[in-house]
Amino acid sequence: MITLHRYPREIMLRDGARLTLRPMAREDAGRLWDFFRRIPPEDRMFFREDVGRKEIVERWAELLDFDSVLPILALEEDLVVGDATLHRNKTGWKQRVGTIRIQIAPEFRNRGLGTAMLREMRHLGEKAALRHLLAEVIEEQQPAIRAFEKMGFERACVHRNFVNDQKGRLHNLVVLLYPMSYSETEMVF
Amino acid sequence: MTCSACGADLVYDSHEAVKGPDGMTICPYRGRGYSELRAAHDRIYFGKWRKMDSTTADIRRAYNQIGRHLNSIGRVLETKDLPAAKRDLGKAVEAYHAGDPAGESPNALRFLDHALSYAHMAIDDLLHEEGLPPHDPMEFSKWYDAVEVPFKEEW
Repeated sequence: MITLHRYPREIMLRDGARLTLRPMAREDAGRLWDFFRRIPPEDRMFFREDVGRKEIVERWAELLDFDSVLPILALEEDLVVGDATLHRNKTGWKQRVGTIRIQIAPEFRNRGLGTAMLREMRHLGEKAALRHLLAEVIEEQQPAIRAFEKMGFERACVHRNFVNDQKGRLHNLVVLLYPMSYSETEMVF
Repeated sequence: MTCSACGADLVYDSHEAVKGPDGMTICPYRGRGYSELRAAHDRIYFGKWRKMDSTTADIRRAYNQIGRHLNSIGRVLETKDLPAAKRDLGKAVEAYHAGDPAGESPNALRFLDHALSYAHMAIDDLLHEEGLPPHDPMEFSKWYDAVEVPFKEEW
């Protein structure tokens, strides 16, 4: 179980904007739904569920289980402007692999929030004693891919014409991996 | 000027520099989180070793500076519970050793550049933990002899 004592915590973006990071609570369903509605349709196409339906988001809020999915929200006052989730399996062969998903509100893109949330996910992954973090990104999302790579993620593979959007067009899927295999002794300088 | 607080060695005073009540230039790193680490990073980042006319001595000097810089980051991290930052520092150290200019590696410069990049990541990890935005060396470039674009951007 990851301890969440560090939340809520305030971060400042390069342009001076101050945001609060904290885990999603049951009461956030409305705020999160409102956030998803502000995500452009072309980005929403790649969501696994139809987040345009409020009942889907409400179900997430009702079934919150941080050991399976830990959602960290970025809020500007009461408005959700970013959502990063760390997905884990409690048992099985992938229990040491965490999957990261990050969504940023359009007005907060290219301002450093994605990188900040990625850094937050990496911290949580370390705290959860994971061995790898995994992210899947559509190849067209080059800024996100660059941010992951800058943070130490490695491009593990590219699945060609692997996923389709809601209009049926095929897209390449880039799989990025962040290995967490250094031991404490290897870090000693 | 050399800042007495953070040790920043600033080659050029900019006309945009803020002056204190005593008329003296205020160090641009002053009041920023981890100012000493930032200043040390930028001194190396904008150093002569990354320029086309660098000499063996410049590279050797940079190697030693990076070593001291990594030590400084390590000392700060000793008291922090930041495994991701320690991992970044570990990668920096690994690249640093691979980049020893006394060795035979033809990629020594590239490894040193990687070491500095990972050191930058560790500083950004520390800043993030304080809720601060990442360090952007270009914000301070006017203070250094940085007329050339570092070779990193050419790759």
